[in-house]
Amino acid sequence: MQIVIGNKNYSSWSMRPWVLAKEAGIPFEEVQLKFKEADGGLTVDGIERYGVAGKVPVLVIDGEPVWDSLAICETLAERFPEKQLWPADRSARQVARSICAEMHSGFQAMRSSMPMNIRSVYPGKGIENSRSDIDRVIAIWASCREKFGTGGAMLFGRFSVADAYFAPVVMRFRTYSVDLPKGAQAYCDAVSGLRSVREWMDGARKETEFVPTDEPYASRNR
Amino acid sequence: MLLVIGNKNYSSWSLRPWLALKVLGVPFDEKRIALRRPETKAEILRHSPAGRVPVLKDGDTVVWDSLAILEYLAEKYPQLWPGDRAERARARSMAAEMHSGFPALREHMSMNTRKRYAGKGRTPESMADVARIDEIWSQARGPFLFGSFTAADAMYAPVVLRFRTYEVKVRKTSYMEAMLALPAMREWIEAAEREPEAIPELDLHG
Repeated sequence: MQIVIGNKNYSSWSMRPWVLAKEAGIPFEEVQLKFKEADGGLTVDGIERYGVAGKVPVLVIDGEPVWDSLAICETLAERFPEKQLWPADRSARQVARSICAEMHSGFQAMRSSMPMNIRSVYPGKGIENSRSDIDRVIAIWASCREKFGTGGAMLFGRFSVADAYFAPVVMRFRTYSVDLPKGAQAYCDAVSGLRSVREWMDGARKETEFVPTDEPYASRNR
Repeated sequence: MLLVIGNKNYSSWSLRPWLALKVLGVPFDEKRIALRRPETKAEILRHSPAGRVPVLKDGDTVVWDSLAILEYLAEKYPQLWPGDRAERARARSMAAEMHSGFPALREHMSMNTRKRYAGKGRTPESMADVARIDEIWSQARGPFLFGSFTAADAMYAPVVLRFRTYEVKVRKTSYMEAMLALPAMREWIEAAEREPEAIPELDLHG
């Protein structure tokens, strides 16, 4: 089984299934492809070999490509039921699916004005444009922690797809130094402390590629 | 089971779970909330924590977002995904690609069931989205993507209505024909045509 990812510093979509599999202890081979610097990071070098939508991430399982982060997470949850990647409780599971799907298709303002950029620190940048998205994330986290969070520091107590899904948002809140209520900050700290997330962040800090479309607040020669 | 939806003429997200429920033959109550009116937000928030349609209520379970609702329904009615696990993974990829992608298509060819905007909405970006969808549909086993109707088809149903409105030509016309021949799709289209509300900013080309 392979997980094909992009740059660890920038690729929020890649981070999700990678963190999910790593944290759950599902063994996989990592294949890293880099965003092409020549075209501003819009395409991924070598992705055509995986012949799908032209995007990372891709899961290769039983020789077949599965593309899109959410489809990969669902497929991993189905193939590794013993890992309980979704919450076991039916009501909790539906809320987990709903917030992941909401993340998957929404939060456009946050995506464009606060792109994931793990190795950089831009305090306060992009926050004003993303205010309603940030407030919605804080509300989602507070509601999940209150209703389902007993028994652990994650959104549904123990680690689930939902935490993998919001990990890139935690990275953004760190980069742009978003001022958070106590509970949300505690959740960010817990996610940042996950072994898988720390490993991903270490990988991101070692990368030197520069993708201008993901670096609205910097130039190449910083 | 209660499904809360928006205007049938405009709400592509609402069509997806509605159509899946109809094709499954599962009885459900439907509540339509007209979008973009002064009372809309408060009405939706009474049902949906995210403040958006569609939302499904089943006993004490509340599920929002079209794709999450389809996954929830598939837990209860497994026939909503292909039975073969490799095909199921591919169907999920296609559904998820539709769910988070194709922004140019959404912007320039927004769903407007009752209108005809032949040739409109074509930009290089929207035509690139069209080409990718054409590629996905051309692999359809027939009549639907994986033979019988699945959640992946529910995700692409609004695109069929868009291509009808904007008169976009695809290679595999039989896929669009199969979708439009579903009694539930005809029911949705007829209801959209009868809806009194018009949202001028969504009537992109008059």
